[in-house]
Amino acid sequence: MSLPTIGFRDELLSNLKAAYARMWVRIKGGNREATHFIAEVFLPVLTIGAYVILYRSLGLPSTLGSAVILGGAMIAFWMNVLWNMSAQWYWEKEMGNLEMYMVAPVSRMAILFGMSLGGMINTSIRALGILILGVYVFQVPFQLHDIFTASFIFLLTVVALYSLGMVFASLYMLYGREVWHTNQLLMEPVFFLSGSYFPSIYISAIPFWVQLAATAIPMTVGLDAIRRIAIYGGDISTVWLHIVALIAFILVLFPLARKALNFMESLGKKEGRLTLRWQ
Amino acid sequence: MAIADFARSTRESFLVGWKIESNWTDPVLFATYRLVQPLASLLIVAFIVIIGGSLPGPGLQKAYMARIIVSNAFFVYVAQITTNMGWLVNTDRSRYEVLKNIYISPGTLHPYFVGRGLVSVVNATISVIVTLLFSVAVFNGILNLQIPINLLSANLLLLIPATLLGVAGLIAVGYMLAAVSIVSNRLEFILGESVAGVFFLLGGVIFPISALPSWVQPMSAALPVTYFLDVVRDSFGLSATNHLFDMAYLALSTVAIIIVGILVFRRAELRAKRLGLFDRKSEY
Repeated sequence: MSLPTIGFRDELLSNLKAAYARMWVRIKGGNREATHFIAEVFLPVLTIGAYVILYRSLGLPSTLGSAVILGGAMIAFWMNVLWNMSAQWYWEKEMGNLEMYMVAPVSRMAILFGMSLGGMINTSIRALGILILGVYVFQVPFQLHDIFTASFIFLLTVVALYSLGMVFASLYMLYGREVWHTNQLLMEPVFFLSGSYFPSIYISAIPFWVQLAATAIPMTVGLDAIRRIAIYGGDISTVWLHIVALIAFILVLFPLARKALNFMESLGKKEGRLTLRWQ
Repeated sequence: MAIADFARSTRESFLVGWKIESNWTDPVLFATYRLVQPLASLLIVAFIVIIGGSLPGPGLQKAYMARIIVSNAFFVYVAQITTNMGWLVNTDRSRYEVLKNIYISPGTLHPYFVGRGLVSVVNATISVIVTLLFSVAVFNGILNLQIPINLLSANLLLLIPATLLGVAGLIAVGYMLAAVSIVSNRLEFILGESVAGVFFLLGGVIFPISALPSWVQPMSAALPVTYFLDVVRDSFGLSATNHLFDMAYLALSTVAIIIVGILVFRRAELRAKRLGLFDRKSEY
């Protein structure tokens, strides 16, 4: 007796349902704690505030303060990608859920996709809060004329970032405690390279090799493009190269995530590390 | 005898904490991971000043950059102690499930927290030293910016007592965070980060407190961290404040925080015992 075969349509439906279910859990879980929500909006504003005041005390243009606020909002996505995407399989393993994902008759990519969608929605709400609060408190100038291009670039940036998160999630699958340290390692250095608190590319004061390294991070490219449009009044003609770069990031990172996931899952099965807790 | 027991328990706790923090990888990789974060943090503020210097205006403000380098380097104590001690209860109670065992072992809970806090102090001290050396090597050596920092001329009679007092006060703050963690649930992500964030904004780390809005300045002037960093900058000859007053305030406020910390912890301990919170699991 052979196992029943599932058609493409049924398989697609199952995976879409799995993605939706994972997204729903993420949205519900991410918003049930009011204290967390408040902290995730207010805490970044403390750091943003410190940098805005630093710019003011140095007598620098107020547009740099606007750049910091946009950078602070984008950092929310990076933090979400690190702690709620990259490290997610590790959390699931610690709680004993990973084996359930492994035996579920759906693609692990569907689960990662659902997690990404939920993370994007949750973090967009928080980033909007950071942006509104930052602009209200620090009264910095914006010149947004091309909202369509700004939204399009924002979307591309977020998709590229979460594709990177899916790659990291796969690579982190077998990690133990090193998850913490690796994530810590990817915070401040990425804030520095991506220019979250200062423009890091196309600025002569920044060494060329730093600029080159910075452009390997999707957030650097997306953030620079959004700043050009939202602060300096640019349009699609000023950022078309950024758009090409972001699309390239997505085209490379998404398939890479699938390959990395298959490889790490297979390695984990061979080494028996998929259910290993408290490493 | 009691002091010797306390010291022994603290030492054992320190050793356990050190192993937990460091034995996940080889020493070189561990050191790299620990040092990259504070260095990147320093580079962010340093490049802000450098970019500022490249724009039309007053040029590179070297004294300001020196101030930022020293303050930012020593702020690592604040960030590491508050963040790590804010997490400690959650890790040991929910993840490793050992908090209850530590609690029922006679006289170990308090030295346990102090010992674990000291691990952060050692890590932070290494970060501070490397950050300062890195700053001089990069900004004065490679980039030749002639930032007025002379590490060899630091006034150790000011620097060492100020650091000891500052660290003692921060461990007391960490003690309070641990106390709050014991009687609360799912706040581990917020506690340490919030305190570090407030201290970063109000402690005069990357700008003088006179740059803050006037209604915020009294809050900043009440924080021990402000005086800790003031005295540290004084010891490097980077500030013209009255260091005797700063040191006196730092000493008094440290004693006050330690007393408050112990009282808060005792109260939390009693409440946790009454409500059975020492073995509460918080899953997500």
